[in-house]
Amino acid sequence: MDNLITRRRRGELWIGAVILVVLILLPLPIADAYTRNLIIISILFAGLAQAWNILGGYCGQISLGHSLYFGIGAYVSTLLFVRLGVPPLVGMFAGGLIGGLIALLVGWPCFRLSGHYYAIATVVVAEIGYLLFLNWDFVGGAMGVYIPFKGDSWVALQFRTQKLPYHYLVLAFATATWIAAWVIEGSRWGFSWRAVKDDVIAARSLGVRVFPSKMAAAAISGFFTGMGGAIYAQYVGYIDPDSTMNGQLAILIALPAVLGGVGTLWGPFLGAAVLTPLSELSRSYLGGSGRGVDLMLYGLVIVVVALARPAGLVSLFGIRRRPKGVADGSPA
Amino acid sequence: MKRIVTSLLAAAAAVVVHGQARAADDVVIGAVYPLTGNGAAVGLDAKAVLEVGQDLLNNKHDAIPMLMGKGGGLAHLGGAHIRIVFADSQNDPQKARAEAERLITQEHAVAIIGSYTSATAATISQVTERYEVPYMSADNSSPSLNQRGLKWFFRTSPHDEMFTAAMFQFFKDIGAKTGHPVKSVALFYEDSIFGSDSSAVQRKLAGAAGINVAADIKYRASSPSLSAEAQRLKAADADVIMPSSYTSDAILILRAMNEIGYKPKAVMAQAAGFQEQGFLTGAGPLAEGVMSRSSFALDATKSRPAIPAVNAVYKAKNNKDLNDNTSREFTALMVLADAVDRAGSAKPDDIRKALIATNVPGNQTIMPWAGIKFDETGQNTEGTPVVQQVTNGTYHTIWPFDLAVQETVWGVGK
Amino acid sequence: MTAMVFQVAIGGLLMGLIYALVAAGLSLIFGLMDIVNFAHGELMMLAMFAAFVIWQYAGLDPLMMLPIVAILLFGLGVLIYRGLIARALSVNFNRGMVQIFVTFGLAIFIRGAAQFVFGGEFKSINTGWLAGRTAEIAGVYLPLPQVAASFVCLAAFAGLLLISRTEFGRALEATREDRDAVALIGIDRDHIFALGWGLGAATVGVAGVMLAGFYYVAPNVGANFALIAYVTVALGGFGSLLGALVAGVLIGEVEAITAAVLEPSLKQVGVFGIYMIVLMVRPRGLFGKL
Repeated sequence: MDNLITRRRRGELWIGAVILVVLILLPLPIADAYTRNLIIISILFAGLAQAWNILGGYCGQISLGHSLYFGIGAYVSTLLFVRLGVPPLVGMFAGGLIGGLIALLVGWPCFRLSGHYYAIATVVVAEIGYLLFLNWDFVGGAMGVYIPFKGDSWVALQFRTQKLPYHYLVLAFATATWIAAWVIEGSRWGFSWRAVKDDVIAARSLGVRVFPSKMAAAAISGFFTGMGGAIYAQYVGYIDPDSTMNGQLAILIALPAVLGGVGTLWGPFLGAAVLTPLSELSRSYLGGSGRGVDLMLYGLVIVVVALARPAGLVSLFGIRRRPKGVADGSPA
Repeated sequence: MKRIVTSLLAAAAAVVVHGQARAADDVVIGAVYPLTGNGAAVGLDAKAVLEVGQDLLNNKHDAIPMLMGKGGGLAHLGGAHIRIVFADSQNDPQKARAEAERLITQEHAVAIIGSYTSATAATISQVTERYEVPYMSADNSSPSLNQRGLKWFFRTSPHDEMFTAAMFQFFKDIGAKTGHPVKSVALFYEDSIFGSDSSAVQRKLAGAAGINVAADIKYRASSPSLSAEAQRLKAADADVIMPSSYTSDAILILRAMNEIGYKPKAVMAQAAGFQEQGFLTGAGPLAEGVMSRSSFALDATKSRPAIPAVNAVYKAKNNKDLNDNTSREFTALMVLADAVDRAGSAKPDDIRKALIATNVPGNQTIMPWAGIKFDETGQNTEGTPVVQQVTNGTYHTIWPFDLAVQETVWGVGK
Repeated sequence: MTAMVFQVAIGGLLMGLIYALVAAGLSLIFGLMDIVNFAHGELMMLAMFAAFVIWQYAGLDPLMMLPIVAILLFGLGVLIYRGLIARALSVNFNRGMVQIFVTFGLAIFIRGAAQFVFGGEFKSINTGWLAGRTAEIAGVYLPLPQVAASFVCLAAFAGLLLISRTEFGRALEATREDRDAVALIGIDRDHIFALGWGLGAATVGVAGVMLAGFYYVAPNVGANFALIAYVTVALGGFGSLLGALVAGVLIGEVEAITAAVLEPSLKQVGVFGIYMIVLMVRPRGLFGKL
């Protein structure tokens, strides 16, 4: 039994390595900036969705407030860079740390709530954060923060028109989230979290310390989400509360994980690989009509996938899931 | 008049076939606007008016007395056509950036025009700077945009500082003329970038003019209710309420004031939502007497003879009159097309040089401006705004006095 | 001064009753089948557009079209249940998330569809028996469309309470208590759920019509109310009608007072702050069952 699991886990590492190589080579034959941008955004969201998956998937806490950690990460690294000259390569770790810290602060009151109460509370906390940033002049308020362009630099993570460096940056980020998820799957933590997700009361009786488990998941998840926000900020060059903390963003972070397959290694990536291009391409080629066709298509795909593949798109690939009969009903 | 319109419409129909045949020579201009989501109403109008501009530039029609009013394509480029490719920003800075990049790299746009909100302009203008393509800001009014040392940023429209200066000049002029001074104002602004920018300038200029700011109210955009906010305006009862709001909130605040039985002495809006048709129909009689700055004066037909012709074609297409936004978008396109034509080249660098050399007298445009001439930051310095007032459901120009078609009336709402 | 205090309090009360009515349908559906409908705001938006279209083409007053729109929305609610929700409930994996994202996808779809049909322009109903009218009592102004909406809201709550006394109401209650056992006593669970969705949608339809009488109508209008509705339901306690009513009024008042006394742009922070505090003390809301 143990052996089987180790073998499977090693197999996943191999698959991961192959996919990583493919993704490293992928942009080389692609010259145009638009497609490269599409790939970058997809990989960024793959990493963000994986970060969400650590809390939402493995630990089963449906957070709809991850936009808060994303925005905090973006603001921390940007302000450190613009005000204090701290290079974003360092700043993005600071952004991640603060993001994780905030996730702990949010988790402390919210993890006492269960089910939909928890989900709504995360929305509300994120909304409070958004409103406070919108009204906080020290961080630029509604005007946001421009990131001045100072020339191509890996330390400042700025590149004039080159897309390749950003590609490798987001790829490194997504890989880090994947490895974190992989490690967690095989660790004692991963076991505790899955127990918490499946049945809180049973987990408690097995000696799992439920609250600390949730807090640990939140901190890791918040850390990576904040880091993603910091990368986004350098990539786009301008941040404001509307684009980095909006409630809609929280859904966009969670969606690839949910539709791809929650609590799986590959689900979030697969979800992002399908959903992000879908939303970007439909906007680019259908949004110009201004008739809302892109929104209709996007909404429809979400509904159809959620209903047809409740276990996520990964189930198409026959990846082994939990034993039959273990059905988790409403979120715990 | 009618003849011009029919010939234009016939030409618009013909361009479909014609346009495809010579697609190779087309000069592509990208347009980034919110076509879905929150700003969609404004974005769709922008799309309509730019399409009208495109038809007027490309098709043969009776000459309109304005810049590039002859039609028939770009003369110095062998009659090449302008082709506008639209992209949807959904009012999101990241998406605006991606779309601008797509337009430049995929569609080979030689210039970008946009973008309604200032946040999207911030990222689009960064992309155009990096790809070295001109960005023509048609309707972004944030004063900070042209102060970032960008080489490729051009703005035909006045910005909020120029607009606000005009409002305070109006207060002074009207005080001198009618003996009805403005001693206090109430600032009422939404909490996004537009409201913050606009109110900051208003606060500053009110201080400079010695006008008391009786209330300084920042409110949450798209709130379900503005009744408590209206209550604060009532309590302050300033000589003039100065709102900076988008359409939905503009409708709501006038209704909310009415609901608590408050008739303001005067309202002087920072255009935006107050200039939209949705506001005028939505607020109905409550909007009577509302004043707004505007970069456009539909009624200035005497000094701007091109207005009726352009407006007729636009109205035939979109069933609306030109307004503050659509007129600016149209003008920006004409200025850009003129620059391409004068450059005689579709190379961004040549277009930029031609833009820098732009010097168009106001009567060659549909705008009431003194003219169009860019300073070293890319800002048009001769875009002189007007002040308008709603009577019988439409705006009429009341200032500057030489363009005024009627006298200023105090009091708001019927 | 007193007039002003009353004015703010009444403004909060009138808006709070609207919030309560918007939240009632959400709470009803949740209580019945443990589903949060993330397309609730969009259903309201559709009702507002329906009201606008009927007003524009048939010239009916909002008050007169109430039953029409309520029936339309009832049908739509049943349709959504039969077409989507029943299937979302039948999945045996990951049900909690599937239902969240099915209704979320539906919300996006409806918003796109509304833009497709009606365009992005802001619309409003400006004529009617009550449109724009106010009554003054001792210096306090009462906007009549909102007052009418409040009465309709109270009537709707009374109606919902009455329904809960009927046989159907008892079937609802029984289904809520034990979804599986009701089958044994001959109640068709699916049928009850469908009617519950119809009732929930009709309730928000009523709210939409009343709101259309004084608010603007646009494809995005649902979002302005949706978050408040979720907070109202969670604050009152999921599934509790009385909770929705009390929480709605509380939120309306907190919002009005924050906007009048503190910073208007932070009025929702006031609301959310109260909500968080209540949740710390009562994790299941004011009237939620533990």
